[in-house]
Amino acid sequence: MTEAVFRETTAEPRTQAVPLSHLSLELGHLYMEDFEAGPEHLRRHFARVRPWAEAARAVAADRAGGRRARISTCFLIDDYFTRFASPAEVVPMLLEEAERAGLAVDYLARESACAVSGKVPVAEAVAARIVEEPPPGSYGNRPPAAQTGWLANGVRSPTARAPQAMRKVAAWEPPRETAARRHSVFLDVELWNETPDGERLWSCPFLAAVWQLARLGLLRHQGEAVFEPQPHTGAFPDEWDDLPPLVRLGERADPFAAYRTCSVLPGRFLPVEHAVRVILDQTDVDRDALRQAAERSAGEGVPVPGPVADRVSYVFCEET
Amino acid sequence: MPAPGAPPATAAPRTVLASGEVRTCLLPAGQALDSRAAAQLLRLRADERVLVSERPNLYGRSPDTLTGVDCPLPSAGGARVRAVGTVAARAALTEGRVLQTSAYFTLPASGPDHRRPWGDYLVRPAVVEPLGKLPYDAVAAGLLDGGRHGDLDLGLIAGGLLTRLLRHPLLDQRPPLRSRQTRLRWVALTAPAGEAPALERFTLAEDELRTVRLRVPEDIPAADLAGLCEDLALHDWLLTTLVRVLDGIRLGPAAPGTWPRTAGDGELPPTVRALRPAVDHLLHLWMPRARVSGRLAPLWEALEERPGFTRQWLALVQRVRDQLTLHAIPPVHREVEPAP
Repeated sequence: MTEAVFRETTAEPRTQAVPLSHLSLELGHLYMEDFEAGPEHLRRHFARVRPWAEAARAVAADRAGGRRARISTCFLIDDYFTRFASPAEVVPMLLEEAERAGLAVDYLARESACAVSGKVPVAEAVAARIVEEPPPGSYGNRPPAAQTGWLANGVRSPTARAPQAMRKVAAWEPPRETAARRHSVFLDVELWNETPDGERLWSCPFLAAVWQLARLGLLRHQGEAVFEPQPHTGAFPDEWDDLPPLVRLGERADPFAAYRTCSVLPGRFLPVEHAVRVILDQTDVDRDALRQAAERSAGEGVPVPGPVADRVSYVFCEET
Repeated sequence: MPAPGAPPATAAPRTVLASGEVRTCLLPAGQALDSRAAAQLLRLRADERVLVSERPNLYGRSPDTLTGVDCPLPSAGGARVRAVGTVAARAALTEGRVLQTSAYFTLPASGPDHRRPWGDYLVRPAVVEPLGKLPYDAVAAGLLDGGRHGDLDLGLIAGGLLTRLLRHPLLDQRPPLRSRQTRLRWVALTAPAGEAPALERFTLAEDELRTVRLRVPEDIPAADLAGLCEDLALHDWLLTTLVRVLDGIRLGPAAPGTWPRTAGDGELPPTVRALRPAVDHLLHLWMPRARVSGRLAPLWEALEERPGFTRQWLALVQRVRDQLTLHAIPPVHREVEPAP
């Protein structure tokens, strides 16, 4: 067929491509209590992380075959649930302790950027992409997950209503995991709740799921990339809001987003990351972004798994 | 960590059947929406663009949204084939006036005999996979006839999206004319490679239901088929609606009265009052094949041949214009019209 003579740009979707590494390696999350525990706490954290980070690098290098594996490291600081200290205090200490352990942090991200990045309401957009896993018997009726703010990996236990006259109290029925293998591991994740002012407060697992999608290069807003790293210049600011959502610290760092991610985290993050998997498993990611990652990874001989959740891996290490 | 027992990625089996349902109705608003308002109405996802096109007519289309299903497929033979996957749904607005929602999916010839992890289905949007082998002829017939309660119900998905859009605060719920919603169900079976696509049957059934049976080569995307069927549904709805407008009027000379022919309160006579909304809101909408993909556009010819969609439309439009012309002639001249 010959190409059309007439074109209309608003009628043709276009999706920006982002540079992709082989692996995005996360060296940790920083919460207020970690900061308050002092530099020694961070020193112990990075010392624990280091051997696992090296193992993850080795796996990625092995997968890349003969070529050089592009690996970028990142670190997430919570400025969403609690605001503590200032970038000028926190970041230099963090970088110093990482360096002491022989680790380089290439990218630094703020957790609040997973809720709203610049002017883009990322979390809200991802929430609108949830397609619930249908339990058997779903014939087109849509479960109202988007309204309740909860997402499960199966069918909830029927709610016990106040017993009505002339009606027997229903016996308890267990919840059921849809993909159960014989026995269920049922999980019901709170995606958000509302503050007294009616504002939506996103849950930690939900923001962590957005964080994974950002690291996998799968977030777009109207076709444009979100989470574009800004180079770091000068001193770190005194206000978190003055720090770009994603800062590139290493000038020669490999791209932030990657075909796969690995996070080295203390074991207490296990439940959060289980919830992340439940969310990722039910999120209908931007199709062009998915296609771009699939085509380019296949072109490099390192094809990504189809399901997004399978591109994510973890090392849960000891608490410091 | 990969799911335990996750199957390795394999080449997808052949698509043997595509199916969908289109709902078409008049936008319940006094004025047609301009392209900005249309984009606002159709923004089903904040992070995805609404397609807006101004040539050859004003048209907006929402991004696809998915609904997960796991249920038996309707089947004429009574065989209950369970299938799992996602149905895509989207909405379109033509000239800011006619709202359509459309749900569609494709079916491969066979699938594994157990349900896969959900993530595997989500990365293949608008594919519903049978558990085992698909008796596609029986299922194609079942999809057109509508299934039993509990079978896959595309009408629920298309209708649900329409209901959601009709409640949008942009709409003042004051439609300029009375009309009914139509439903069009379609199935497309796969034709052997190299064969031209064909429209095998277009049926006008009761209760504003239309069914369309297509036979097309496998490589035509289901979204294109949905696009063709949305175009058919739009024009069928226009015909249906204009026929009803003309059905409702009383013909013949108006009661004698003063000229210009207005009622005492400045209102137009009934015939003009009934026909005017059609002129204002419908007559410019006829444009078959405006956005049908190149390979499917020839399928319109079957309907132009018999019953002749455009022929009927032109005749109806001519009638509307003739009636309005008659009413524009001052009564003194009309009195000398030849007696019947």
